[in-house]
Order: sequence, then C-alpha cells, then structure tokens
Amino acid sequence: MKPPERLPRRDFLRLAGATVGAAAVAGPGSLAAIAGAPKTKRVVLVAFAGGIRSRELLDATIAPNLARLAASGVAYPETVVRNVGHYGAALSVFSGCVEVAGIRENMRGANPTIFEYVRRGTGLPATQVWLSATGGEQQVNYAFSDHPRYGSAYGANLVSGEGIFNPEFRTVLEKFGKLPPPDAGREERLRGLRAAVESPDRVKSVAPNDPESAAAVARYLLEELNAGTSRLTGPGAADAKAFRVASNLFRIFKPKLLGISLIQADVAHSSFNDYVEVIRRNDAELGRLLDGIGADAELRESTAVLVLPEFGRDKDLNERRGLDHGDASESLLRIALVASGPDFRKGKVVKEAVESIDVCPTIAKIFGVPAESARGKVLKGLFA
Amino acid sequence: MLTRLLLALPAVQGAAGADAPGDPRLVRALHLDLLGRAPTRAEREESAGVDPRGLVDRIVGTREFWQAWFEEELYYFLLIDTFRPTAPAVVEIPDRLAEGALTAPEAIHRILLSPNFSGRNPGADTFVTVVLEQCLGTTVQESPMLLAAGKKMYDGHAATLLGQAGRGQADVVKIVLDQPAFLRRLADRQWGRLFGTPLPREEGRRAEERLRADPRSFPDLVREWAASPAYVERLGRPRQKGPLQFVRSLYVDLLDRLPTDEEFRWTRNATRALSDPGPLRAVLARLLLASPKAAVPKSPPEDATGWVRGEFLRLLAREPAERELRSFLASLGEGGSKPADVIEALVTHPEYGYY
Repeated sequence: MKPPERLPRRDFLRLAGATVGAAAVAGPGSLAAIAGAPKTKRVVLVAFAGGIRSRELLDATIAPNLARLAASGVAYPETVVRNVGHYGAALSVFSGCVEVAGIRENMRGANPTIFEYVRRGTGLPATQVWLSATGGEQQVNYAFSDHPRYGSAYGANLVSGEGIFNPEFRTVLEKFGKLPPPDAGREERLRGLRAAVESPDRVKSVAPNDPESAAAVARYLLEELNAGTSRLTGPGAADAKAFRVASNLFRIFKPKLLGISLIQADVAHSSFNDYVEVIRRNDAELGRLLDGIGADAELRESTAVLVLPEFGRDKDLNERRGLDHGDASESLLRIALVASGPDFRKGKVVKEAVESIDVCPTIAKIFGVPAESARGKVLKGLFA
Repeated sequence: MLTRLLLALPAVQGAAGADAPGDPRLVRALHLDLLGRAPTRAEREESAGVDPRGLVDRIVGTREFWQAWFEEELYYFLLIDTFRPTAPAVVEIPDRLAEGALTAPEAIHRILLSPNFSGRNPGADTFVTVVLEQCLGTTVQESPMLLAAGKKMYDGHAATLLGQAGRGQADVVKIVLDQPAFLRRLADRQWGRLFGTPLPREEGRRAEERLRADPRSFPDLVREWAASPAYVERLGRPRQKGPLQFVRSLYVDLLDRLPTDEEFRWTRNATRALSDPGPLRAVLARLLLASPKAAVPKSPPEDATGWVRGEFLRLLAREPAERELRSFLASLGEGGSKPADVIEALVTHPEYGYY
C-alpha cells in the first residue's frame, strides 16, 4: 500500500500496523455494535490548535506520544479543515459546523457545542463537562453557544489556566489577606439572604453551575491557585498549563467529557524552531495525561482520546523563517486526526478523507445524544 | 460569560422616573456605560439633583471617559496584556482626546499603526484580514481578491485596494480608515456600549455623515445618545455588565476606589478565564469584604432599615421591596447576619451582574 504523500514514510510505517481503507470498516453496523455494550464512559478531546501541519504532528521524533496514541487507535491523515481563522476553525471542531468568524471576533457561536449536546442530552452537571483552555479572550466562547435551546445552562466549565493560575493574580489576592475559614452557618445565612432578593421576574439565573457545583468549582480554584500550575513558565507555558489543569480536573472530578484547547503553536508565524518546540512540549504534556489515564485501571478501560489541530500551516517558510497559514495548500487544509479508545479500532490508518467537523457528531454518538445542528458525520472507520 | 440571565421584562417597559435628576438607576448606568464602572460614594452624592444632561456633560468632559473609551477600543482589537500598546503616541491618546487635540478616528489610526498591533497580527494575511474585518466588517473569506490586494500592498508592492493606490502597511491602514464603513462601525461600537443593540440604520447614516463632516463631533454624538429618551427607556431592559465593568464596579462598590492597573488586569483576566465566573467572583467578593480596606460596619447600624435600603440603592440601584426589607432586617436581627453578609449576598446575587 502506498503511504499518503504528506506523511513521512517512516512514521506512516510505524503507525500503520495494519492500514485499512475506510470503506472496509465504516458503516452503521459497527456503531450499532458499540451501542450494545459500549466501554467508553469518558472522552478527552484535544484541540491541538495553533495551526500544526501533519508533517510535524505525525513526526514521531517531534511528537512521540501522539505517535503512541495513533499506534493504539486510528489515524486520519486526510482530515479536511477550512481556513477560517484559529477561533472559527477550533470552534468548528466543537460545534460540528464550519464556523466563519473574524480572526479577532469575540462573539459566541450560534451553533451548540459538543459540551451543550452532551450536557443537555445526558443531564450531566457542569462539573462533569470541562474545557481546559490556554487563554485569550476568544477561547472562553467555546464553552457554550448563543443557541436559544442550548446556551449557558448546558455549557462546559471552562478554565483558561494562563488567565487565572499565575503568580500575578495570586499576588493581587494576597494583598487583601486571607479568606475567612469556611463557616456553614454563614453560608446558610447567605443562601437565605440571596433567596430573599425578589428579582425572579426580571432576571432568572441559568448559570452552568448550580449552587453545589459552584461551591465545588470555587474549592477547586482555590486549590489550584496554590498548586504548582501557577509557576509554569517558558515557551509554550500557557498550553502546558492547559494540559496540567486538565490532568488535575481529570483526577479531581473524573469528568465524562474533557476538552483541551491549545494555541501556542501559532508562534510559527515568526519562528519555525519555536513552533517545533511548542509541539514537543505539548506532546510531552499529552504523554503525562495519557500516562495518568493509563495508570488508573478504571480510566484506562473507559476513556477515549481524540486529538487534532484546527488547521495546518503553509507549505513553505515565510521571509521570517516562520510559517503562516494562508496559502490554501493541502499542507494547510489537510490535517491529521488521531483517536484512541476502548471502542475504537487499533493501529489503523484511514486514508479516506474525513472532516474536522466530524468530531462533534462522533462524540455525540458515543454519548448517545443527538447533535442536531452539526453538519459533520460520524467518523468513518473508527469503531471496532 | 458563565452567569447568564434570561431577562423576562416586557419589551418596552421603560424606566419610570429614571429621567429624574439623581435617579440611582440613571446615575449608575451612565457611570457604567461611559466610565466602565459604578459611581463612587462621592459621585453618587454629587449627582443628587443634577439633571441627566448635566450629568452626561460632566462625565463625557472628563479624561476618565476617554481613558475608558480607549480601553474598550484596545479590548475590541484584543490589544491587551502583552499586546497592549506601549508607544508614547498611543499611550498619550486619552490625554490628547481629552484636550481636543486628537479625534476618535485619529486615535484608531494611531492604534493600528502601533508595533503592538503588528505584533498581535503578524504577517500580511493576518494583518490585512484583521484590519478589514475589525474596521469594515468585511467577511474576508468572501473577498479573496480584496485580501490579495491588501497583502500585496502590505508587502510593499504597489497595489490598488478599495479603489485607492498605495504601497506598504501604513497605506493599507489609511485606505481602510478612509472608508465610510469605518466611521459607521466606530459609531456602532459606541452605540452598542450605551444601548446593547446594533446602531439603527438611519441613526448610523446620520452618525457617519456627521463624523465625516467633523471627526471632532464624536463626543457630541455620545452626549446626545446618553442624554436621549431612548437611553432612559433602555434602563427598563437591564443589561449584563461586561467583564471590564464588573471587575471595576466590584472594587468601587466594596472598596470605594478603582482597582489599580495591576489589580484590574489580573482580576479581569482571571474572571475572563472562566466560563462561569460566578464562583471566582464570590471568592473575590468575600476576600475584599474581609480585608480591612473595606469600609463595612462590624455590627448592624442603628438605623438598620435605612442602611439596608441604602445598600439596595447603592448595589442594585433600586429600593428593596417591603418583603425583601423585612427578610434582610430579620436576618440582621435575630438571624445573626452581619452587614458584610448583606453586602456579600447582594454582590453575589445574579441581579448585581445587571444594570
């Protein structure tokens, strides 16, 4: 079998223990099979974003942990994406629709995200659906859409680690002293006072967290603020924090759906070498997350992991010896998607084209919920 | 933003009496919309008896108004944190605007030419796309020829963009800012800050013509809109505070001072780092209230009724209903609540997130 042209041959051979055509394994029958006794209870979706080409992402010398993941699951080296900016393209992964948004647009999407589909369809509380993001103003919009029948009440608990877990914010908080110790009686009085405020006709709270979840989130935030996450520094530190926060969330809350959204590979605009370093660091963090999952018998047997960038990058270096993303080449518009999980096939490479918007309906299928607005399809050739 | 509230008010209820001098709803809303924060204790007292137009004139005449406008514009272009412009020509913008030595369109021009804007939007593709999208509302994916012309010009080649010839990055900016759509979008952003809605078409046309004829007329537009009956009517449809407004207001309401630049930056970033900022806001409110810097009575004041009414007016810009008042007084009495509990309950209630 001839390997795809864009993959380094050695990596393709490493990954493809038994390459198969998608047509041979896809079909509703395989989905029906997992619907009978699905082992997958949890899904981790990593938007390995910032714009990463397949030739770097699937290079085992740069991203050995991703190669490990691919070897244990299914690789899609012909995943079609649109160049609609980082924000729109990453949002497309979460919503299953091509989201055309301005590069600096800071508005929520109109289509429900996978987090909303899962929460609404399963009734899970917000503490079971998380998104750990790198930071930046736009990423907070990934948590939920403006869709009238979904929205914030079904949103994910999103944490942008770089925005909150940093020494500067800790210093600001410490200036004001220490929090009073927990006092159940006081909490009860506060609940009573809030309940006495009569504004239900004017405003009705539909925050993702109910009071119990909100208290759990507050406890987590205080714990994480005092943990080592705040001290991560250096190139790619914001992405690394997103992974570190995700690992801690997984340990503490054992969420059913955990998203991770990165961005710092975009340093490629000005430096190819820094771009490669960010990929290396993020791959190492991915490895720690996978090791954590592998070390827990329950998680190991029940967790699926999907990883993909939002789009690739230009074929050639720019004049700054960096990589932009605007040449409309296949290097930009075809990316690699890797998926591994207890109900997925092992060690397969699907050469047939799929789309990044297929991820949302695939995860919805795993949870048995409809993704009514998603335009993608369930990934071909994924399920065993 | 995580704490999302569904407003269930009738479409046009208006805000009866809000145009009366010193109405707390109007005073609070004008400070939030024009200065990005709640009024301080002194400002509330000074506003008593001042007619709405006089209050608007007073606020728009301050340097702080231009600083707040400048901050909103930087936020619009996402020029924050490490991308915040540091060039003297940009840093001095609020001062020059307050002196009348610079116009709002000229200020945007300076911002777009700053090294930080280039750093935020590196390379021809990103730079030209962002300038077209943010300044003109262009959907670049639908205009590949326009983008190609802009990129060519950005790269230093002679090119024609939007009917004008140019060569270089500065020409891209100049040509885009020469377009009528730029002025309309500039006005639209300001209208949105006041009303929370898009600028109506006819009003937009009028604003564009006026700004084109005299770019210095921007503050006059703001004055007219903020002092209009439509603004008073808007108060009947509460709006959610933005992240910048919320953070500044929390400091003003609990400490009676604005946050320092560092406090603001890191607190804003932290609350913007969560899809539900509610839990963090609660932690922050408790911390500020527990600090010796918060001027909170240790025990219920002698005039507890007046104090509770005052806190409702100060924090929610409304009187408490009779039943609310009774509940709060009971909690302060035999219920064992302290004044700090009352304030914490109010600032962590969803209604505090609206104005």
